Amino acid sequence: MNDFAYVGKRMTKPDIYGKVTGEAKYTDDITLPGMVEGRILCAPVAHAKIVSIDTSEAEALPGVLCVLTHKDCPDIRFSRSTMAEALPEFAFTGERQDQFILTDKVRYMGDWVAAVAAEDITTAERALELIRVEYEPLPPVLDPFTALEQGAPVVHEDCADNIAFEMDHPFNCGDVEKAFAEADAVAEFSGVNSRQKHLHMETDVAIASFESDKRLVIYSPSQGPHLAKKHLTKRVFPDLDDGDIRWISPAIGGGFGARLALGVEPAAVLLARHCNRPVRVTTTREEDFQGYSSRTDMHQTIRVAATKEGKLLAIDQKIVSDSGAYLSHSATTSTVNMQKTLGVLKCDNIKGHLTVVYTNTPVTSGFRGYGNPEGAFVLQQALDRLAEKIGMDPMEFRLRNLKEPGDPSCFVPVTLEHTKLKECIDVGAEKFGWKDKWQGWDAAKEGRYRRGVGMSVLTHASGAGGFLLEHSSCVMKVLTDGSLNLIVSPCEMGQGIIGALTQVAAEATGLRYEQIRISTGDTDVTMFDIGSHASRSMLVIGNAVHAAGVKIHDQICERAVKYFEEHQVKLEASDIKVRAGEITSDKAPGVVIDVSKVAYDAIYDFGEGGSQLNASGSYLSTSHHPNHQAAFAEVEVDTETGQVTVVNYVSAHDIGRAINPLLVEAQMEGSLVQGIGFALTEDFVIDPETGKVLSDSLLTYRLPSTMDVPPMEHLLIEEPLEAGPFGAKGCGEAGLVNPAPAIANAIYDAVGIRVHSLPMSADKVLWALKHGTEEAPGQSRVSGQFL
Amino acid sequence: MSKRIGTFNVNGKNADTIVEPQMLLVDVLREKLDLTGTKRACAAGNCGACTVLADGDPICSCITLAVAAEGREIETVEGLRAADGTLHPLQQAFIDHCAAQCGYCTAGMLMTAKALLEANPRPTREDVKRALSGNSCRCTGYVKIIDAVMDAAQQINAAKEVAA
Repeated sequence: MNDFAYVGKRMTKPDIYGKVTGEAKYTDDITLPGMVEGRILCAPVAHAKIVSIDTSEAEALPGVLCVLTHKDCPDIRFSRSTMAEALPEFAFTGERQDQFILTDKVRYMGDWVAAVAAEDITTAERALELIRVEYEPLPPVLDPFTALEQGAPVVHEDCADNIAFEMDHPFNCGDVEKAFAEADAVAEFSGVNSRQKHLHMETDVAIASFESDKRLVIYSPSQGPHLAKKHLTKRVFPDLDDGDIRWISPAIGGGFGARLALGVEPAAVLLARHCNRPVRVTTTREEDFQGYSSRTDMHQTIRVAATKEGKLLAIDQKIVSDSGAYLSHSATTSTVNMQKTLGVLKCDNIKGHLTVVYTNTPVTSGFRGYGNPEGAFVLQQALDRLAEKIGMDPMEFRLRNLKEPGDPSCFVPVTLEHTKLKECIDVGAEKFGWKDKWQGWDAAKEGRYRRGVGMSVLTHASGAGGFLLEHSSCVMKVLTDGSLNLIVSPCEMGQGIIGALTQVAAEATGLRYEQIRISTGDTDVTMFDIGSHASRSMLVIGNAVHAAGVKIHDQICERAVKYFEEHQVKLEASDIKVRAGEITSDKAPGVVIDVSKVAYDAIYDFGEGGSQLNASGSYLSTSHHPNHQAAFAEVEVDTETGQVTVVNYVSAHDIGRAINPLLVEAQMEGSLVQGIGFALTEDFVIDPETGKVLSDSLLTYRLPSTMDVPPMEHLLIEEPLEAGPFGAKGCGEAGLVNPAPAIANAIYDAVGIRVHSLPMSADKVLWALKHGTEEAPGQSRVSGQFL
Repeated sequence: MSKRIGTFNVNGKNADTIVEPQMLLVDVLREKLDLTGTKRACAAGNCGACTVLADGDPICSCITLAVAAEGREIETVEGLRAADGTLHPLQQAFIDHCAAQCGYCTAGMLMTAKALLEANPRPTREDVKRALSGNSCRCTGYVKIIDAVMDAAQQINAAKEVAA
């Protein structure tokens, strides 16, 4: 076994203390001198021309500082997604810049029409009510397939066919039609996910303040403040440059991908500019539901083909994604769906086509899993149907089609170097008891409550090396007491990255974990980095920390030579090791020197050797380094009510090495429960006639509660990844991918029905039980298959 | 709207502040008394993030008028620690189990759990689930929160037995 002081240990995390005492400062907890309150007026109709806006009454209200509309905005369109600044030029086609801070025309119910700054929140709200807007309603288009029809209402005037983005699968390969023609069995599944809301508990908020030297300081919870800052200067306020803005990301009240898009920051900056006061813009939970981002609903059909021996021959995927009124992350999440979802198993013939469509519905965006949960819900059910056609155990079918090192990864130009998916399946199945619980495709189930089992497998990334700007840098300095300041760029939104990076830093430097303090979240302090998303932080940022840490370790060893000489031991630096704050050598048994001595003397050297111990470290990732999971779900279906209960869930994760198994477990538990919500309860309902979001509160949108938590087991399959810091891969996102398909396959095993749209809520299950899937209320408009 | 001086008993101390009739308890705590540990997350009494104790009962401070809280003993997350700074067993258990991720729901979870343990010092896991079912958390999946509350109950009971 390894001899790590900290890596691999179950430890709590440094940022948790402030969170249990109430000391942690979130953006809404910050008050700046002279700060005023900003609010945004949201449109009450889904599609309309703005004929006129009369702000005079609002402006006359005592305490109102300014009321702004479209005419006050920079005449430049931008995307809320900041990813354009992390992508190479060739991929910009997917990052249409298509909205103004305050809109020229209403494109969804909730679109931003005007903004107000006032001395207090009550006055700001009252001012919103006094803004008189004359709308000329236009017929809305609320469904992506209607939007694609000839003569449909046009959402963006410069996009007459409402197609925001269209592409073939970037890695189309083989001869799909020939493979289908020669296959022994062909299966198909059509389905659509719901617009799962991120539901970060902290609603969108930002403070913008122009300081007396004209510098702009933004306080806002961002998952990538450097990227957001670059995007803001390049696309929203081109008169500002990178150095003109300092972006501080305080404690973040949940991210899940939502904070990878701009929120109210542009409006806060615009207001601050006009009223020369620091402005805090806040939003309500209802506005969050009506206007802010959610997962993109992807209508998909996936056809798959196999030989009777169970070799997967071909996959053909069609996606029609509904981006809502603006594109944001919808195109990139949909392309990730094609790559990651279809890339999980070995298949030589792959074809796919994607169409992203504008509608007059709220903006959708990137959400944990970023296209993969949306795709897996459909692909993993198509695979089960295929296994059923050839009469094979669905687990066996997947085992026969696993990728091996050397095969193309899910990001085809990059070769897969490391996979333990087979071990995940084997270990998970053993723990779950798959061989006993799965009783064959024609197993008869009786009674009101019927149990069934299902499984699903996934591949996901540890960053997107070879595609995104995957480099990171950090700085370390050692203080006189042997403690370390680590200046590094991850965004701690609860996932535990600060804790895990502290462990990496302590291990690499040899300093004490308790004496490592991380500075992050301030673009004036940290080095450029594209933020915490795509499970990239541990691999990319972790490697940068490791690189700097090793340098500190070596500096300590070099300086320590003379201290051993005091003990009459002549050593080379390479004979010395530093671990948990103690300097020792196998060649000097019994001699222990504390790092604080070396660190103190390094600074308080009035001779020629004075220099604080310091180092920087950088890392550039050139590969995806996929992590993998296999999941097994057991459900109980109440055939009288349609209620589905998850009774057991076992998941095994190929994560290289868990730097901190407690934190990994916490990520897996959280993503599983989010996945159960995605699968069974979370329904984002838009009125098909008006475009109003009907599920606009936590009463009508069913977030999982403590009562929805099933018994679960998360197994870690650890074989270090050579490229990972101490062997680690990323792990945070993937857990949300498998729950929906594994639960869907288990429902089929229990009662023989498949629900084609998420969530698989009781009413849909009951309907399908009564009427059978062949008579379901609608047909897939992607393929014509019954939903 | 008439402003007046209101007196609030929060965490064992009386504090005078200007209140307006429409102000909510959460506004007074956060904006007037600078107790920002209590969070406003839905402002509709649905998520439990703003939970504080009033005379020992958990209430949503986002739907409680400030004036209705006068004369009651209010306890917020800032009042959980002992006078010497020692963490409450619930806080310690949340740390040990890593039961807070983003932390926005944590204050509400702790206060609801405190009320539970005072009413029911030996809860079953099911009791804990039921007591916390009105407190939403998007990050943790609740497992470690439930573990932490069960653990804290044990710690508190063990300490009481030693004291007895």
